[in-house]
Order: sequence, then C-alpha cells, then structure tokens
Amino acid sequence: MMSQENIYVPFKSEILDVIKHTAKEYTFRMKFEGECRPGQFFEVSVPKFGEAPISISGIGDDFVDLTIRRVGTVTNEVFEHYKGQYLLMRGPYGNGFDTGLFTDGETVVVAGGTGVSPVRGVISALADSDTPEDKHVIVGFKSPDDMLFRADLKDWDAKLDLILTVDGAPEGYSGKVGLVTKYIPDLPLKDAGSAKAVVVGPPPMMRFSVKGLLEKGFKEENIWVSQERRMCCGLGKCGHCRIGDKYVCLDGPVFNYSVSKDMLD
Amino acid sequence: MSADINVKSLKKNAFRVSKHRGETASRVRIPGGLINAKSMVRITEIAEKYGNGSIFITNRQGVEIPGISLEDIDAVNKELQLCIDEAHINQEERDKGFPASGTRNVVACPGARLCPFGCYDTTAFAQKMEDQIFPNNRHFKVAFTGCSNDCAKVRMDDFGIMGMTEPQYDPDRCIGCGQCVDYCKIRSVGALKMVGGKVIRDTDKCIGCGVCVTYCPTRAWTRSKEHYFRVTLLGRTGKKNPRLAEDFMKWADEETVMKIVKNAYAFVEEYIDPNAYESKEHVGYIVDRTGFDEFYKWIMKDVTPNEKCEVNNRLYWGGKHYDVSNNIKPVGVNDIR
Amino acid sequence: MGYVVSKEAFDQVLQKLGEKYRLYAPVRKVGEGRFTDTDVVRYDFVNRLEDMELDAKSDYAFKEILTPLSQTLFFFTEGETKEADMDISDAIVFLRACDLHAVKSLDDIYLRNRFEDPFYKKIREHIKFALIGCASSFENCFCVDMGTNVAPDDYIFSIDAAGDQVKSAVCSDEVAEIFESISAKKEDVTPAHVTENPVHVEIPDQIPNSIFKSDIWDEYSSRCIGCGRCNIVCPTCTCFTMQDTFYSENGKVGERRRVAASCMINGYTNVAGGGQYRKSQGERMRFKVLHKISDHKKRFGHNMCVGCGRCDDVCPEYIKFSNIINKVDNAVEEEGR
Repeated sequence: MMSQENIYVPFKSEILDVIKHTAKEYTFRMKFEGECRPGQFFEVSVPKFGEAPISISGIGDDFVDLTIRRVGTVTNEVFEHYKGQYLLMRGPYGNGFDTGLFTDGETVVVAGGTGVSPVRGVISALADSDTPEDKHVIVGFKSPDDMLFRADLKDWDAKLDLILTVDGAPEGYSGKVGLVTKYIPDLPLKDAGSAKAVVVGPPPMMRFSVKGLLEKGFKEENIWVSQERRMCCGLGKCGHCRIGDKYVCLDGPVFNYSVSKDMLD
Repeated sequence: MSADINVKSLKKNAFRVSKHRGETASRVRIPGGLINAKSMVRITEIAEKYGNGSIFITNRQGVEIPGISLEDIDAVNKELQLCIDEAHINQEERDKGFPASGTRNVVACPGARLCPFGCYDTTAFAQKMEDQIFPNNRHFKVAFTGCSNDCAKVRMDDFGIMGMTEPQYDPDRCIGCGQCVDYCKIRSVGALKMVGGKVIRDTDKCIGCGVCVTYCPTRAWTRSKEHYFRVTLLGRTGKKNPRLAEDFMKWADEETVMKIVKNAYAFVEEYIDPNAYESKEHVGYIVDRTGFDEFYKWIMKDVTPNEKCEVNNRLYWGGKHYDVSNNIKPVGVNDIR
Repeated sequence: MGYVVSKEAFDQVLQKLGEKYRLYAPVRKVGEGRFTDTDVVRYDFVNRLEDMELDAKSDYAFKEILTPLSQTLFFFTEGETKEADMDISDAIVFLRACDLHAVKSLDDIYLRNRFEDPFYKKIREHIKFALIGCASSFENCFCVDMGTNVAPDDYIFSIDAAGDQVKSAVCSDEVAEIFESISAKKEDVTPAHVTENPVHVEIPDQIPNSIFKSDIWDEYSSRCIGCGRCNIVCPTCTCFTMQDTFYSENGKVGERRRVAASCMINGYTNVAGGGQYRKSQGERMRFKVLHKISDHKKRFGHNMCVGCGRCDDVCPEYIKFSNIINKVDNAVEEEGR
C-alpha cells in the first residue's frame, strides 16, 4: 500500500497539451491545481528510468507548464512515451521567484537558453505590469533554431523592451547576433542603482551577466539568480545540490546575489 | 696443483663449475625467494671468507656465491648448514650442503604477504611445495605467483601456479559506483558490466584476479573463502623450442595442485631417456615424445579435482621451433630489389 | 546507576534484550577484508558478547543500519507503484561515543532539513543505542579535539568489557530490570572514554571564503584517486543517488532505490546535458572538508566530523583528513596575520 504522507511518492498528472519548440525541447502542459511560483521545479518521475528536476515554465489556474529538454535517460523516456496521457511528478520544490518584487519600477531580465523556462512567468508578469516600458528583457539562444516560446517572444516584444539575440546564426539572419552580455551596457535605464535584475542561464553566462549589471551600477541586493544543480530528491536529503551551507533545492534555486556571491563552489 | 673432483657430484651438490679453473660457485636455495636476515648474513660471510666478496642474485630467486676455491667446498657446506636449517630445506646428511640441484629453487612472487593484489600466501605454498619435491635430481621448475598478473613469470616454468579468488558479490552493499567495472577494464580483462545499477560478472571471462575486490569501496565485493589456482604447464626457455606454458587447470584447489606436481616426477622416472646427456631431460621434452595424453594420465593419477576445478585435457603449445628453422628472413630491401 | 556482571551473565542480558530487539554491533568478518586473508569489521546482528568485535574500531560505521548502502524504495509493476517493505524491527545498535554524536548529523539531514524522510524515520523510530566504552584511543582517532569523546546521553546502557567482567552504566528502566532479574551486582559505572588521542586538530571558528582560493587543496588533485571510501566509511556522510531500474527485457517490472553517494567520486555533480561542478579532486576535497568542519555547523549548529578517523584508516593514498583540518587552520591563521 502506498502511504499518502510519503513525500517520495509522485502523483499522476494529466498531460493537457504538448507544445513542440524544437526537436529537443517540448513544453508539457500538466494538470495541476495548487500553489506554485515561477522558478520552482517538479521532479518528473518515470518509473524504472528515474526522476529529473524540471522548472515550471508557466502557471495557469489548473495547470503548470514544464519545458523539458531531451538530454538524458529520463527526459528521453518522457519524449518517447508521453502518449500515456499522464506523467508522474512530485513537487513543486524550491522557493521560486516572488514575481511581485519585479513588477514595480525598472527591471531587467537576462535569460539564456533553457534558462528562459524558469523566468517565463516573471517576464509575462512584467509584460502585463502597469509599467512595461520600464521592463527590459534580454533573451539569448544558441541559434535561431534553438528558440523557445516563440509566441511569447512575439507577445513580449510588443509589450516591453525585448532584446532577442542568438550566439550565432546562418547567413541572412536578420535578428540580433551576439551574447546576452553584449546588450547589458546599453540598456536604457533611468536609475540602475534602484533597478532590479533577474539572471538565469548557464553558469558562465550568469557570471558575466551579473558582472555586466554590477558595472552598470546595479546593487548586489537587487540582483536575483537561479542556480542549476543536480537535484536527486528535491527534499534536502540527497546532498547533491548543496553549496556551502545552502541546499539549492530547499533554499533556492533562486538566490539574491548578495547571498549567492558567497556560495562558492 | 689441480684438484681431483667428481664434477657430476659437485653439480648435484649445488656447486657450479666455473670457467675459472679451480673455482666454483655455491648455489644457495631460497624457496619462495624469502630468506631471513641471519641466513643473508651467513651468505655474506661465506662470500667474504671463501668467495670473491660478491654475491650473484639468480633469476630463480636463489643466490650464487662465486669465486670459491674447489678446495673449500667442504668448509662452505658446513657454513651453509645455517641457511639450510633456517629455510627448513630437506637434507640427507648434515653439513654436506644441498643434496640435489635438479629440481630448481621454487620461485614465488611476494604474494598476499605483501602485495595488495596477491590472492594467496605464495611464500607458504612455495615452501610447502619445496618440502614435498626436494631433494630430487630431476630437472623441474615450479613457480608461484599471487595473481594473474604473473609477476613471477610462471608461464616460463614447467609448473606455474597462479592465485585466483572467486569474487563474491553482495548486491545489497553495492552502490553502483562502477569502480569495479572501470578497474576490471583498465587493470584486468573487463569481465564486469553495470546493469540497472548493479554489477554482472561474466564468469567465463573472469580470471579471478580480485581487482574488483581491491577497489570496491563498500565490501560489496569480497574474496572467496577458498583460495583457487590456475595451473599452467610446461613453459620453458632454451635453445630448441622456447614457449610459454599453457593453461591446464583453473579454479583448482591446493591439494589438486600439490598432487599433480608430485605425480609428474613418477612420469619422468618412467619416460626419461636413459641415454639422456648428463641424465638430464626436461619434462617438457619428454612430453613432446610421449604425447600429452600419457602425461595427463600420469599426473592425474589418484587426483579427484575439486568440484569447481576446470581441467583442460587437450593442450597444445606454440613457441619458437629453432630445431626446425631459425627463421627471421625479413621481407626486406634485398628481396624486393 | 550501573551493574558489573560476568561475561556469561551479560550474555543472559543480551539474550533477554534479543527477545525484543535486534542487536546490531561491530562484527569481525573473517576473510572479508579488502586484501587476501584480511578481515573487515562492520555491523551485523549479534546474539552474544563474543559475536561483537570490541577491540577494534569498526571499519564501516553503524550508519548502514539507518541509511542502507542500497535501499529499495519502490517497486514498479505495470502501472502500479508499491512502497518497498522495510525491516522495521525494534533494534539496539552498539556504538562508540563518536558515532553516537554522528547520529545527530544523520537526524539533521533526514529529520530536520525542512522535510522528514519517511524511509529514514521508519527505521530511526525503532532504534535505540547502546554505548561501547573506549578504554583507549585507536589509530587516527581525534575525538577529544572534536569534543565527541564523551557520549551524549541518548544511550540506554553502556558496555565496557575487561577481563571476565562487563561493566554497564544503565540509563533505561527496561534494561535495569533485566540486570536486576539476573541479580547483577549494582555499582556506579561511568562508561570508559578516552581523554587523549595521538592525533590533534584545530578548527578555526570562522573560515573565510578566501580558503576557496587557497593552494592547500591543489595537492589533492593529484593525490586523491576519487574512490570515495572516505565517504562510505564516514558515520556522518548521508548523500545518496536515486537509481531506477527494470529487471526484465520487456521492462515491465522494476524498482526505484537509493544508493549511497560520494562527493569524491566522479559524477556526483553531473547535471543533465553534461554539466559538472567541481571537476578536480582538490575541489572535491575542499567541498567535503568544509562540509565536515564548517558548512554543516552553519546550518545546524554543530560540526559534522566526529573525529572517528575512519576516513584516514581507509584512504589508499594515505591522505589524512585530520591533517587537512590543520592545514585549513594554518591557512586561516596566516590569512589573519
């Protein structure tokens, strides 16, 4: 018998929709009614194959979006066999973003690759805020083919200051090319000293983006980052995600930079 | 004044005939290659008093004390008594030195007394074997090595004994770290693979070297209580047909090994060429004449191998056949031109 | 309160306890050591005093009982998930003072780090501890400097065996009743504990972040082979990795388990897509050491390391954890200068 209180037991969630972004990245819209925040994650559980931590990329009244990149045994299995109409998962885990922090005043979001998933909810909130003109979003992908959330990108572009860039592109590409960090110095900010920023992406990208923001005049305590670590359990038990005295799965993955700058690894 | 010495007796008494007239070298047996310090001091004393002050370390883990005058043989034999006693070497008459030289010093690598990979106490087994087969004038070479690495190069001997352990696996202690799999591949034969987080051992491929046990961080792998042996037969160096020994048994137990080596002496007594030069014919060359089937019959007499033991009764050897052709005729520039 | 009894009488106590509890204690497993003809001391069931190995430090800690090296959590059949049955018999675990301190760290992670781990809790609720007194320090122990030489109070009785006698301090009515029932001699007993170790460590109160850049870690990048034995034997290491598997070719039946993990073994930080943190063994050493002497304390108020020295006992590369602690201390001191 399954004991209800066992926190390792996943629940069944119906797949409401599947959005295919690229050959390797799909968003699964999962039935879910409960509290959750962008930046939190679920452990998607495929019996006999394992579990994988997946960020929440969208939140609705009765669903969450999980954008899954096909990179391992578990995600592979999800892609091959999701037609079972449901997935097993447990969560949400982690702290997530407090979206309310960012809707007032000037905010910059810098996101790279799959790092867009955990901040998608934040960006959408910025786009729908009262002052979208004060919201600057730099989104970078490896190439035009790797772009995620194309519909959202279009929507955001219409509402706020979106800088969409790719690391590299085939000849003839008309969009912006270059790393996200390239666009930080020229952000048209009124007062960087009181502006807030969110940075999510691969470790080197985050490091250099934060550096750029600090140079631009951002205060450390006004920058939030989301740490990526291996999370086997999501419950502060397995130890893999620990950095110093912090457990990324419990205390993060979102950290204020004034804290995360001392989380050396 | 030249000495009147029976050279054949001299050789049997473990002295070498030197190229320097009137000189000899004393060949000291050191079964298993382990000698105590006291005996080593005595050897040093003999070398200084009767020899030329040097000591030669032989390939078979004995020592030779060169530069001894033929006249001092009796005196040297008396002095050697300490070494013989300390090594518990079987003797016919006290103070008369080593009673035979045909059966060569029994060789052993350091084995489990020292080496982390040794699968049994090679020294003890070598000494036990020495006790069973010496003295004997028949030319036998027996060697022991702790594991399949064969540091003792037992494949060059008539009887090579390699240690084996049968790895015992406790899946409940296995954390799937994969070190056994990796090290088996790097340091051994790659007999392990990871399936579903646990390890599968290919029992056909596994040579029982114990590398998995050595590297296992959890004691999921342990050694079998029993010590097992691979027995290789009739390797040799020499001018006619040098060759590596071939596998005769694996997973044999100590009793089986002991019996087949002892049985081989009876075979030699039966089949040795009565007219052999200096009455010396290597067992391998005798088997070349009689065929392996006959040898097999003799060495397996009264032997019931232990249950796990696998026996190969069809042995074929390769090696160089210099008695047929001393080949190496390279396809070189001379032929092409 | 305490009792002094003969060994025979103590066995009666164990027998009575055994009717209600499983008794776990360090047991000498003959021949199950890493190397040939060596033993390992690890935890197993015992019935009598003589089953326990009380003269040696256990090579592997008691934690295997609370956090099994490999623990099946769920079984999967087609569409069904079943929680694995667990052995949750009431048990008494015999351990030394340092290890009893280590229990705190296990509880920190499994019961107090936000969530309660249901699997751990089930076992933990059924476990009581009995203290093994330490008459003298073992090699590599540094409990005194870690403040773990005197046991915390949460044991039900202690055991100090000397000569034909066993002395027990008893802190539980249930156990006292058993001693009374065999008319044991009452006496004031204080469990033996060491007051001096051969090894000393100094732990700095504050470790600045500059330690990350210190060159003290560099040598371990070449010295440490990343075997993880230190983590496996450590009484306070709790990390695990989830492992899913299926048994059959058709993949319909399988299980989810967790296995002990080591932050020193390659792969510990691997994230999907190929990313890895702390690639060098030096960085991994830093991660481990700082956890034991600083990071855990920041979160839970006490150090993780209990100074049992097992990591030093087991390291094949002779890396001394206690020495690293002192190197950190020196580096911090130099920095402050």
